[in-house]
Amino acid sequence: MTASEVVVCIIDDEEAVRSAITDLLESVGMTARGYASGREFLEAQAREPAPGCLILDVRLVGASGLEFQHELKLAGIEIPIVFITGHGDIPMAVQAMKGGAVDFLAKPFRDQELLDAINRAVESGRIDREQNAATTEVQSRFEALTPREREVMMLVARGMLNKQIASELGTSETTVKVHRGQVMRKMQADSLPDLVRMADRLAAGQ
Amino acid sequence: MRETRSAQDRLAFLAMRYGLAISTVAAALLITQSLQPTVFPTPLFFTAIVLSTWYGGTGPGLFATLLATILLLHFFVSPEHTLSPRPVDALYLAQFSLPALLTCWFVKKRKEAESALKEARDHLDAKVQQRTHELRQANEHLQLEIAERKRAEDAVHKTQADLAHLTRISTMSALATSIAHEVNQPLAAIVTTGDACLRWLAAEPPKLDRVKDSVSRIVKEGTRAGDVVKRIRMLSTKTTPHKAAVEINHLIHEVLALLSSEMLKSRVVLSVELDETCPPVFGDRVQLQQVLLNLLLNGLEAMSNIDSRPRTLSVNSRRLANGRVQVSVQDSGCGFVPIDAERMFETFFTTKPDGIGMGLSISRTIIEAHGGTLTAEANADCGATFQLELPVTSGEAP
Repeated sequence: MTASEVVVCIIDDEEAVRSAITDLLESVGMTARGYASGREFLEAQAREPAPGCLILDVRLVGASGLEFQHELKLAGIEIPIVFITGHGDIPMAVQAMKGGAVDFLAKPFRDQELLDAINRAVESGRIDREQNAATTEVQSRFEALTPREREVMMLVARGMLNKQIASELGTSETTVKVHRGQVMRKMQADSLPDLVRMADRLAAGQ
Repeated sequence: MRETRSAQDRLAFLAMRYGLAISTVAAALLITQSLQPTVFPTPLFFTAIVLSTWYGGTGPGLFATLLATILLLHFFVSPEHTLSPRPVDALYLAQFSLPALLTCWFVKKRKEAESALKEARDHLDAKVQQRTHELRQANEHLQLEIAERKRAEDAVHKTQADLAHLTRISTMSALATSIAHEVNQPLAAIVTTGDACLRWLAAEPPKLDRVKDSVSRIVKEGTRAGDVVKRIRMLSTKTTPHKAAVEINHLIHEVLALLSSEMLKSRVVLSVELDETCPPVFGDRVQLQQVLLNLLLNGLEAMSNIDSRPRTLSVNSRRLANGRVQVSVQDSGCGFVPIDAERMFETFFTTKPDGIGMGLSISRTIIEAHGGTLTAEANADCGATFQLELPVTSGEAP
């Protein structure tokens, strides 16, 4: 992913700060869009592609940046956030980071600090998206299994032997073997550890 | 005067008075005899009696009358120059002595009246002089008192100015965080834009149009930060009050600019309606700013615990029918009980847990020193409205 593909949104009620950050990001070849409030950002969201990163001022007219972060989370919108603030105190920073912020920068900050934070945010967003995509894929494969096959998969992932699984399910070892082969094929698992990882991902996704 | 003379003096005076009687009568006798028989004998004796009574008093008057009667009898009435009168002569003498006595009495009365008048005039004179003296003294005293009062007033004004300055400083320090934010915002924009600018310059080829944009923004934001600093300095420096024509709307904007960050922090929605036809008011810019700052901060504070309704602060200016300018600051805060409407302008009256009760009392002192009024009333629904009225420039000369 090159810099030019990254779209960064800035929410700050201060026009000067918005334009300054936009200027800086454009000077490194990023695309930046500024909004005066969270509401303005949400309205634009409906029309435009999701940004790779959100730069959010803590203090905003109306709902504060921290509240907006919470609002986004409740709405299921996952965008990595870099907070900026005129005078940040520790409780504020702690709340922001607990809420999943990538970084918390006090104004005035140096360009590299912000750019590094943005890169980290974009990267974490990318990883999250990939993870999410992988989880969704595994989930759809899992849903294609029969109930019996799902049971077998979970027991295999727990590290049980075929014999143990057969006695647990009250069936023959041969039947278990057949189910197991089906599971490995349908889940597209190359090895037993691969299948265990998928099971973990499913467990984490639930 | 007569009473203060010693016995000897009195005796000499007595002799002089009677001597006067004797000499005038003697003179009358000599003149009358020398002119005999071309004149009547009596008129000159009459004159002698009048003179003796006038200058000598009752005693010498009577003495002159007696003497004149005897001399008339002796020299002019009885041809034999004897002192035993005939009956016809007695009548003649009576014709002389009775009017002489009467004259003597009138002259005496007249003299007394004259003396009384003179005495009254002297007395009046003395009285006038005394009164003039007293008046002059009273006047001097008054001048001293006026000077003293002027000094006291100057001292009061100075103390008030000092106090106003102190409360201003304490207000400013309470606002320090917000004001720092006001300066920090443009600084942040400058730093970020400066960084961007360096990158535009470092590009191959340098993007000069973007550099120009960036530098323009740096200049604009630098000016803005400078303005904030200027406002703070104006409010915190200690200057003697200086009254001049002040645009009230401009003043309101300046104070609101200092408070914008504070309002954001307090989540207050600001509504500003300014009457552009307001004429300039006559006053001290810094002190008037202080009053506005105080009223606005009070409004913000009154709303800090309000969560059930919107926190709104309205600032209005308008020109009144009487030519004065009115500014009102209305909040939707906790308001106050009607009984406090006047009490809250008293020194040390406060409803805030950490207030010292100076703000409103100083604000009213300042507005009254400007010839204006500052009042408060509780709103019908919630919160309070503070109204100040100020005279305009043309109505008041310095």
